[in-house]
Amino acid sequence: MLCDDCKKKPASISFKEVLPDKTIELNLCDECASKRGLLVTRKLSPVEILQKLLRQRSEQDEKVICPRCYLSLAEFKRIGRFGCSDCLTTFTSHIQHLIKQIHQSDRHIGRKAAPGTKQGLEVYRLREELKKALESESYEDAAKIRDQLREYGIKDV
Amino acid sequence: MASKMFDNIRWLIPSSKKTLPCGEESEIVVSSRIRVARNLSSIPFEVKMKAADAEYLIGLVKSIIDDRLAGEFLNLKDMKPLEKESLLECHLVSPGFIRKDKPASVFIKEGGNVSVMVNEEDHLRYQGISCGLNLVNLSSAVFEVEEMIGNNVDYAFNDDYGYLTSCPTNIGTGMRASVFMHLPGLVFTNEVEKVLKGALQIGMAVRGIYGEGSEIRGSLFQISNQHTIGFREEDLLERTTKLAKMIIDIEKKARDVILTKARNEFEDKIFRSLAILRSARTISSGEVLNLLSAVRFGIGVGIVKEITLATLNEILVVSRPANIQLFFGELLEEQERDIKRAEYIRQKLGVN
Repeated sequence: MLCDDCKKKPASISFKEVLPDKTIELNLCDECASKRGLLVTRKLSPVEILQKLLRQRSEQDEKVICPRCYLSLAEFKRIGRFGCSDCLTTFTSHIQHLIKQIHQSDRHIGRKAAPGTKQGLEVYRLREELKKALESESYEDAAKIRDQLREYGIKDV
Repeated sequence: MASKMFDNIRWLIPSSKKTLPCGEESEIVVSSRIRVARNLSSIPFEVKMKAADAEYLIGLVKSIIDDRLAGEFLNLKDMKPLEKESLLECHLVSPGFIRKDKPASVFIKEGGNVSVMVNEEDHLRYQGISCGLNLVNLSSAVFEVEEMIGNNVDYAFNDDYGYLTSCPTNIGTGMRASVFMHLPGLVFTNEVEKVLKGALQIGMAVRGIYGEGSEIRGSLFQISNQHTIGFREEDLLERTTKLAKMIIDIEKKARDVILTKARNEFEDKIFRSLAILRSARTISSGEVLNLLSAVRFGIGVGIVKEITLATLNEILVVSRPANIQLFFGELLEEQERDIKRAEYIRQKLGVN
């Protein structure tokens, strides 16, 4: 089938528009379709952009290593995942453009993390210690830990 | 033994205990979903995490939740394959979650609207699901839990980049808002591709039912935000809601066109579909999905009056392969499943 517009090239796409009084059907080649603004070139998704950017590798990548979790920039580029909360800072100068290209922004303007009392971390640590103290029958220690837990408002211990 | 097998999640099926009221436009919008990713700065992220770190995080989160929230806390390693599948069908866990080999858990808050996955790709993945277009209410429900846990732990947060995530595609708000829509009008008038391409142009993603790459069945589509940084959470919710409303308008117009042009054909299709659902003796979940699509359309345009959307939504969830077994409380082979599914649907639609 030839393109309805240029009548020269073979039609590659068909469009159908149903209107209240009639139905329009068009068979067009790519070129004529984009002339009519019907062919929208698909934008890459964030995941696809990330994959594309991560393929840009350099020999230096093996030498940039996160001091906390030991993830290297090279490994980051292989797996596309950070190893800990320090990786981003370590790699910033190398990946700034990456975030910007993926999201068209590299500036967070949303919610901010509450300073977080970290009470949970402490209560959990105490509970684990209490468990150990009871297991080893160190009841004096257990009583002390229990008092500390009560200060956090935990009653059922 | 059978009936007691799945007691810890059976209360989810059917999903009658939902605490969140249904949102707007529920004849076109099947459900709204929100996912928020969070990590702790004190523990290595997923790829560098040891089993001991994973166990520690589960214990910590469980202790925080136990003191404050009612619901079910389930460890992945204790879950039966069917339970995992069922939670997936209810959209309370992700496909990635049930495949994890490190220790992982999920907390399902009472009511079944909000869940928290521990040790998925991120330390914490908060999820919410509600029927209808309901992103704003849903986000309050999700962030209530996110904040409650956040007040007790050290979320990984950077002033420039916001909440830090395993994958750079989720950084910033860590939030993905999605709307799951039924668009038979657009499918029939061949406008679906045009609308979906337009969505991509403005930074929104379009997917099938179970996430990336899955086929589009029963005229069901999901739209969601692609970018997670550079927007406030409420902007992302608004943009997603706005696009959903735009698509709803186009869908409604398409439905008008269909009804003016081909009312008889469509009434026939709708009532035949309903008749099959009411009389089938054996039926697959795929067929149910397609028949329900026609009936949902019938309810939406006022042709079918005696069935509610709530009933339809329930059938949609319960007739999935794992859920139907959970509903009857027994393991069923595919053939038995198809028979039981037909039985359940006849009963739901008031036929014996």
